Amino acid sequence: MSVKYIPVQWNSNKWKYNAIMLASVFVYLLIFIELTPGIMDNEGRINTQVHNARAFGSCAFFMLSVILCIGPLARLDRRFLPLLYNRRHFGVMTAFVAITHAGYIVDWYFAFSKSNKYEALLFANTSFSQVSGFPFEVFGIFALLCLIILAATSHDFWLKFLSPPVWKSIHYLIYAAYIAVIAHVSLGILQDQQNHVFTLTFVAAGLCVAILHLLAALHERKHGDAAGDTSGDWIAVCNISEMNEGFANIVTLSGGERVAVFLHQGKLSAISNACAHQNGPLGEGKIIQCLVTCPWHGFQYDVTNGRSPAPFTEMVPTYRVKLVGDQVMIDPDANPPGTFVEPVPMPITEGA
Amino acid sequence: MSKSDAPFFVGYLNIPKGLKGFLLKVSLLLFFGFTAGALLAGATQDDPGQAGFRFDFGRQTVEGVIQAKPYPLLHVTKGNERIEIGETLMLTGQGKSGAMASIAALEGTVIEATGILLNRGELRMLQLLGGNRGFKSLETDGPVPASESLGTWRLQGEICDGKCLAGAMQPGRGLAHKACANLCLIGDIPPVFVSSQPIDGEEYFLVGSVEGGSLSAAAYDYVGNFVEIEAALERQGDLMVLKLDPKRIKVIR
Ligand code: FES
Repeated sequence: MSVKYIPVQWNSNKWKYNAIMLASVFVYLLIFIELTPGIMDNEGRINTQVHNARAFGSCAFFMLSVILCIGPLARLDRRFLPLLYNRRHFGVMTAFVAITHAGYIVDWYFAFSKSNKYEALLFANTSFSQVSGFPFEVFGIFALLCLIILAATSHDFWLKFLSPPVWKSIHYLIYAAYIAVIAHVSLGILQDQQNHVFTLTFVAAGLCVAILHLLAALHERKHGDAAGDTSGDWIAVCNISEMNEGFANIVTLSGGERVAVFLHQGKLSAISNACAHQNGPLGEGKIIQCLVTCPWHGFQYDVTNGRSPAPFTEMVPTYRVKLVGDQVMIDPDANPPGTFVEPVPMPITEGA
Repeated sequence: MSKSDAPFFVGYLNIPKGLKGFLLKVSLLLFFGFTAGALLAGATQDDPGQAGFRFDFGRQTVEGVIQAKPYPLLHVTKGNERIEIGETLMLTGQGKSGAMASIAALEGTVIEATGILLNRGELRMLQLLGGNRGFKSLETDGPVPASESLGTWRLQGEICDGKCLAGAMQPGRGLAHKACANLCLIGDIPPVFVSSQPIDGEEYFLVGSVEGGSLSAAAYDYVGNFVEIEAALERQGDLMVLKLDPKRIKVIR
């Protein structure tokens, strides 16, 4: 959580995460660049610059595919949530790998002429009206700009500065970037391919991303949070028997906002489901040492007032709770973030 | 698994026991996935074919008569062990610059040319040394061989820039290389048509305009595509030259 901004708040899990990710990228580049020229039994030798550009380009594509798989995987199976934890470092690294790819191309295919190489990138091919022979470089440039924007704004400073909703919508650019990369590759290298092994791995990775998103959407539909039953001004959340100590039940209000009702030390409290950090689902978190802990990056809140413990300053709205018979009800009018609400004791049942 | 039994990961705390094995498996999968990806993508790249600069031949110096159009050509009159008398060599400058600007004024005269050969099979080009070191006027006129018309042909193949095709870039053709090829053509590098059916044993043809000048920019949209063209074919020295009207290019794929 943030009191002051430092470049990265390191901890041992982030180190491990980055080590695994770096090792994977490193082994990819090492094998592609150093090993495969010896394996290929070609008559002619591919220029080192082109070979390296392909290594970095394909690596960036696979990295981006993995990054996009993490979200839906975590929705389908919560055990994947740790992969989400430090995903932004993976993203920043992808931007660097992609920049290296672009660098090799610009310094090779667009160099050596009398024109500036960056201008040449824009004017050398102007066949915009045809599909085959389309200047596919523009899709690459677009994707690269997206990745750079995302990497540059990945820090929590920007999150706070832009506000989480704006920041989140900017970060949906990752999808635009991915689609642009697919177009870039499909209209570029795939047009010339005689050996289709790369084409197949490319299609497989793209399909993986698409299918996982589809499955996650279906899953959400089936197991998504219940919409609240409106009876009068209060909204029914669930039966008291469905509450578990230390955990929440989530209800969706008619406006789309979600509320997490927690049971803590035998008492009910309700706070907004959206974490003040990146809108992570607080209701899917857990109470650890008396504090609601977000499943995404571990920001914590006092369940009675929605405030992060000092010295942190994050706050989320709270809601009033009442019991009508066995029904847990909430008042859909949110209190201002940080407002204390007296927790409601649960009746002692025989089984408890 | 009920909510309360599921291991709960918090980034800054120790990884819960129940998750450790799972995360180890995921990490290994990622690592070996990338290993396999590199092998699959890296080791199956297409063969660009044997071509390139012949630095192994060393610097070549020959004499010949200059023909400036459609692109600078040298009809060799005094060869060496690599370049025979009677061969017609396409000339090019350094990088993506043709030899046009420097050599046009010497049309019909004999020069001594020095440079590096590059070739792909029968396609040969001489890259002149930079500055004024690449050629020396010998201040005598020489005969440019008369061109011999071979009629109009319908051919299928690809328009490339001759220099990358001859191996300056590997790979140096195709659609992924199109912008690079266009940039070469803009710089007056001679374009070459690679025909899918050889004529008289030749599969590489220099391409110029119908008027005998350089290829019109309207043809750049077709560079790198597999196309069908209809063009007049001529033999100039021992080189085949197509006179191509961009309107008579049809994209096949
Ligand atoms: S979204 Fe990051 S901690 Fe909640």
